[in-house]
Amino acid sequence: MSASAPLRQGTRLSAERVTFRFDGRDYTGQRGDSAASALWAAGVRLLNRSIKYRRPRAFLALGPEEPNALLTVGPDPACVPNVPAPQLLVAPGLELRSQNRWPSLRYDLAATLLGLGNSFWGAGFYYKTFMWPSWRTYEPLIRKLAGLGYAPGASTLPAVPVRHLVADVVIAGGGPAGLVAALGAARAGLSVVLLEREPVLGGELEFEAATIDGEPALAWVERTVTSLEGLGVVTLTSTALTTVGESLAIAHQQPAGMPGNDTLYRVHAPLFVNAMGAVERSIAFVDNDRPGVMLVGAAERLLARYGVAPGRAVVLFGNHDRLYAAARRLREARVPVLAIIDTRTVAESPLRPLLMADGVECLLGHTVTAALGSPELRAVTVAAIDAPTRTRRIPADALLVSGGWSPYVYAGLQSGGRPDYRAELAAFTAEDQPEWRLACGAAAGHTDLGAVIASAQAAGQQLAGRARHTGADFAATPIVLGADAPPALQPYFRSPADAADEKRQFVDLQNDVTVADLRQALAEGFIDIEHVKRYTTLGVGTEQGRTGGTLGAAVVAELRGLPPAEVGLSRSRGPFQPVPMQALIGHRTATELRPARRTALHELHAAAGGELELMGGWLRPRYYTANGASAAAACIVEAGRVRSSGGICDASTLGKIEIRGADAAAFIDRVYLGRPSSIAVGRSRYAVLLREDGMVLDDGLLLRVAADHFLATTSSSHLAHVLAHLEFHRDTAGAGRRVALTDVTEAWSVIVVAGPTSRTVLNEVLGGSGAAAVNRLSHMDVIDTTWGGFRVRVLRASFSGELAYEVHCQPAAAPLLWTRLAGSGLLPFGLEALDVLRVEKGYLTTSEITGQTTPQDLRMDRLVAAAPDSIGVALLGRPGLSDPERPILVGLHATDPAARFYGGAQLTETADSVHSIGYVTSSVYSPTLGRWVGLALVARRLAGNGTALVARDPIRDGDTAVSIVPAAHVDPRNERMKG
Amino acid sequence: MSELAPRYSAAALLRARFDRHFWGPLWRRATPRDAYDVVVVGGGGHGLATAFHLARDHGLKRVAVVERKVIGYGNVGRNTTIVRSNYLLPDNFHFYEDSLRRYENLSQTLNFNVMYSSRGVVDLANSDDEMVMYARRGNAMRLAGIDAELLDRDGLRRFMPELDPSLPRRYPIVGGLLQRRGGTVRHDAVAWGYARAAAALGVDIIEECEVTGLSTAAGSATGVETSRGAIRAERVVFAVAGHTGAIGRMLGIPLPVETHLLQAMVTEPIKPLVSTVVSYMYGHAEVYMSQSDRGGLVMGGVLDGFPSYTREPLWHRLEEVVQGAVALFPQVAGLRILRHWAGTNDQTMDGSPLVGRLGYDNVFLNGGWCYGGFKAIPASGAACATLVATGQAPDLIRSFAPERFAAGRMLDEKGAGPFPLRQ
Amino acid sequence: MSSFGCPFCGPRPLEEFSFHKTLPNVPGGAFEEVYLRSDDPTDSHEHWQHRYGCRAWLYVRRNPSTGRILEVRQLTGSAP
Repeated sequence: MSASAPLRQGTRLSAERVTFRFDGRDYTGQRGDSAASALWAAGVRLLNRSIKYRRPRAFLALGPEEPNALLTVGPDPACVPNVPAPQLLVAPGLELRSQNRWPSLRYDLAATLLGLGNSFWGAGFYYKTFMWPSWRTYEPLIRKLAGLGYAPGASTLPAVPVRHLVADVVIAGGGPAGLVAALGAARAGLSVVLLEREPVLGGELEFEAATIDGEPALAWVERTVTSLEGLGVVTLTSTALTTVGESLAIAHQQPAGMPGNDTLYRVHAPLFVNAMGAVERSIAFVDNDRPGVMLVGAAERLLARYGVAPGRAVVLFGNHDRLYAAARRLREARVPVLAIIDTRTVAESPLRPLLMADGVECLLGHTVTAALGSPELRAVTVAAIDAPTRTRRIPADALLVSGGWSPYVYAGLQSGGRPDYRAELAAFTAEDQPEWRLACGAAAGHTDLGAVIASAQAAGQQLAGRARHTGADFAATPIVLGADAPPALQPYFRSPADAADEKRQFVDLQNDVTVADLRQALAEGFIDIEHVKRYTTLGVGTEQGRTGGTLGAAVVAELRGLPPAEVGLSRSRGPFQPVPMQALIGHRTATELRPARRTALHELHAAAGGELELMGGWLRPRYYTANGASAAAACIVEAGRVRSSGGICDASTLGKIEIRGADAAAFIDRVYLGRPSSIAVGRSRYAVLLREDGMVLDDGLLLRVAADHFLATTSSSHLAHVLAHLEFHRDTAGAGRRVALTDVTEAWSVIVVAGPTSRTVLNEVLGGSGAAAVNRLSHMDVIDTTWGGFRVRVLRASFSGELAYEVHCQPAAAPLLWTRLAGSGLLPFGLEALDVLRVEKGYLTTSEITGQTTPQDLRMDRLVAAAPDSIGVALLGRPGLSDPERPILVGLHATDPAARFYGGAQLTETADSVHSIGYVTSSVYSPTLGRWVGLALVARRLAGNGTALVARDPIRDGDTAVSIVPAAHVDPRNERMKG
Repeated sequence: MSELAPRYSAAALLRARFDRHFWGPLWRRATPRDAYDVVVVGGGGHGLATAFHLARDHGLKRVAVVERKVIGYGNVGRNTTIVRSNYLLPDNFHFYEDSLRRYENLSQTLNFNVMYSSRGVVDLANSDDEMVMYARRGNAMRLAGIDAELLDRDGLRRFMPELDPSLPRRYPIVGGLLQRRGGTVRHDAVAWGYARAAAALGVDIIEECEVTGLSTAAGSATGVETSRGAIRAERVVFAVAGHTGAIGRMLGIPLPVETHLLQAMVTEPIKPLVSTVVSYMYGHAEVYMSQSDRGGLVMGGVLDGFPSYTREPLWHRLEEVVQGAVALFPQVAGLRILRHWAGTNDQTMDGSPLVGRLGYDNVFLNGGWCYGGFKAIPASGAACATLVATGQAPDLIRSFAPERFAAGRMLDEKGAGPFPLRQ
Repeated sequence: MSSFGCPFCGPRPLEEFSFHKTLPNVPGGAFEEVYLRSDDPTDSHEHWQHRYGCRAWLYVRRNPSTGRILEVRQLTGSAP
């Protein structure tokens, strides 16, 4: 349509003109037009090419099930591929591209080449060839040919809001059935959410010319919508049901038929009604994919919604009475209808004689055998079904075909639902429905408006009953007059064809699956419908077999000589309608993928140049940039400073669990090794707990605050696991359940104060009674005190090997305390330095506590011996756990003091051995010793001190000679920390 | 056997062009005979491969595969098609390397194009600590002669330009472990290729025949009871991933197995975008992704979360995988998820397989494949066939015997312990 | 199965609950309890926790073939 063309009238259109681009040319439509209708109105007959044979295509259906007319929207790189043109609303400046063509849509090189090889290219072809010399030789080219739309190089889509709705019932489908069911349920006092995938309600009433309760159908729709609003029904248009389960439905709203302004709804409702109607299907005849061949319903919508005629010479073809009703409406709109080809031998439609009197040729017992013309339709050939070779030609630029309707059963085939073949529909309905799920209208197999509405009225009453709303105020069932007669369908799926021509009888248009492919699959032994689907790709396209699935199953049944009921329907998989990934992520992407926890000292770390990294869900400083440009450089400075004078480190992320109650002491003996109930009040102890299978789950400190009150610390990353583990054993333990477990991790900030000057500085900062308390602390003593009105707990314990304290304080006090400590000369050190200090001392982290190591592997035999009844100990006696080949913890250093070795190196006995006998768990450059030291797990038989091994690291640096040494590399007698 | 499909070759393809009846069925629909040397229960990848190797490598003439539904209905057609051998523990990587080598030549072995695509498998690392873990794994593989490379950010950019490792992400990407020979294989083709090759060697493939019990006499199995009558057998192999627990119940032998759902999903097809197989961990979640030859992005994540036989995937797990996919490749946000589906996995208590004798001297289990079954099929078939034919477990699978738990010789690749959801 | 009836909190979304393990159907010691599972396809006895809720540990009977929940109660020291 040019800018001066007359305005069209249609239910969806406004008078505003809209200019958009398709394949580089400007077109003008009207606001409300879909890309399909605007282009068709403008005379564009070629919209796309198909995935496999690159056949020229326009549109078949005028809904989301459209298999052909998929366009790429927007320029590169942020394009959106495969958008169904019938759903896509035109907008000023919109840029659209056809897909699968080169150099142009009309002249595609690959189509020409593939045409030459056409007879090779059927189902299963790939499996028989392309293996010499290897598939990889051919794959890149085949990949470029395959794939529908353009690959996006970027996305500029905004975040999609997620909205939650709570209701008694969610009803999918806003056609006559959905409207009546919603009205019934709402009048009975139920809260209702009604979903409609189209921008307007009414469904097929948009073109079916009936009266309901004495009003024209569209006026009834309008009045009903007003009633629903009055009753508080939440109606969501342009919203497709994505998935539904017991008590939760997901729905996706996409107003313009393309991503950009989407909303995702989570509807919490205990009842669900499927009123999603039925999907019209085609009939297989030769070249039934030509542009101009479309479903009858598509043509009716094209005309009613957009005022576009399907063609200038129209032929209808099908197997039921609706052809005549459609033909009458087309003629009323002055669309020239030349002929109606009815496959049945009898047609009782009263419209038929009227149409014949108007000069429409009406053939019974005939079929369309082929579409002629290329690329677009010019004529069809028809023949009597009993004499298929005697064909004649009828010129036509539009062939409207209908092989019947398949109820939209997909929501009914989950949670125990079963497909049931209904001969009068030549399609399946869903039976064996659970209590929470109903279907009504065409989705339940009803084919005329009166029955559709009656079934919906009944569904409304059932809903009220299931929701136990009694005394509901039901209106009388709406009275329908003048609707299309029941279709009186006779099953017909494909017209006769020569074997060679079956290659052009399309069943699944999106995947170019033909009758020949189905026949070939059967011949090769793929008989089960699931096998046929996988071998031929029937029904695996973007429309998930909505248009081709039932047709394909029926053709398979015919080829096998079985009733369709025995062939069945291939298993359907959700979502019911494809949903963009952007709609499923909310804000959860990039840096918002998961929340990150921040300690009370976060801002101070950032201000001090802390390099923050996510560890165990927390953002923690690895090192401070003032101390070096890299972690490796800075950690040497920071660790060295702790040993020479002192430093502070934020250990707030340490897991902290309070264990309190009368049974607390007995309980910790059950879950921890080493009989920790013997810890005195005011003391603490290193503690280890095992998983049920005997592997070390975690280590930490147990503080006894009072007789019935312990505080357990855990590794940051093990907190969640340890807490659940403790709760489980509390709830099941014979040791008694009078134990309260409370995660107080975030109730206490923890500042580690370490180094020779730590006591002096801490005294100075705490002052007064706090200082006195600190002075009295022996190694592993703990004391509660106050500082500036805040509660403070000071524990003398060390993970660095230096004289050190853990100061637990209320988070509000932490920044000031940290600032004071730093101001008194204790500079911050990060996790890398902490790692250096602990490896120098041979202490463990998750690098050694891997979930694969036993307490014996980690040399905790003494703790095990003290606790024979603790969780996990019972399974430690298994022979494999003390096998001489099983690795045990050792210390390592590089034999040459100048050499380096890294964590993750494998250990072998000799430089040329490929037999690993262990690996390096951790390694650091020790500023104290001036050489690389580490920890390792090494086969027990080789774990003696002095053993020479090779740290083999082919993936990084190469090999380093190493020797086994005691794990405590620095101050093995702990004089520094106990002094 | 003459009615079966002829050997595929250029000449055959040419002949088929002029003879539409040229291709016969890939396998016969056999009816059960009275007795077999070996009855393999389960017509999935492992069962079919085991039968193929029994016939080809050990010359057994009377082998049957008995399948409850139709072949390839279970996990062999429901997985994300990834093949690799980048495991940490020697028992695992030796086995999976054997399998990968067999996959490299499987199209030739079976004369059926299974579309092995050595596009590379990359496991991304979030931190330097993870790089150390990958170095440990890569070093172990390299010592064993298996290809592995550690990539930093620049290496990642060169290998897969579609990924920008420097974008701001909650879980940053600092590098990754690459196995170039890893990649994808067309999953259904593996089942069909083995079925065709086995049938050509005389194996009976009996579909729609449910095994309901094991017949025994004097402490040995004598055959199986089925929905189509009793079948005598010298030896019985159960290869029913996803129903391994049910076999244990049938035989009265509790197994270290829990059945969980693993779902997979695919987007609409598009032109080439993701050139490799890539996996990305974020917290306790994971996404692994590749682009199929049809053009869809195939993705998977972690187990759905509790035992299930429904094969109905959970919605929130799909959302979780998609969140990771978009964090990884922001450019795919507008692509639509076409469908998601699930397979039932027989998860073991250490995440490694269970292959060995089961209760009787002549009954064997080939199962416990957890979520790694597809990549194991060729090696599993060959090794299990040797076990069944000779009575001796080959070295490759000796450590997979179910007795390992009682012996304290677990193969716990991830240190998760006897909790499948942590594996 | 998209929600779960917690004995303390009422019906809550499935995502709030964490499955822990299924129970063995054989009596035995630590080994059986730790490593063996009944893996019953229609009647599964399980331990769950209402982890993102009240944190109660629960004993649950479910039919894993339909998702139907047959019983939920608080886990106690004497429960299986």
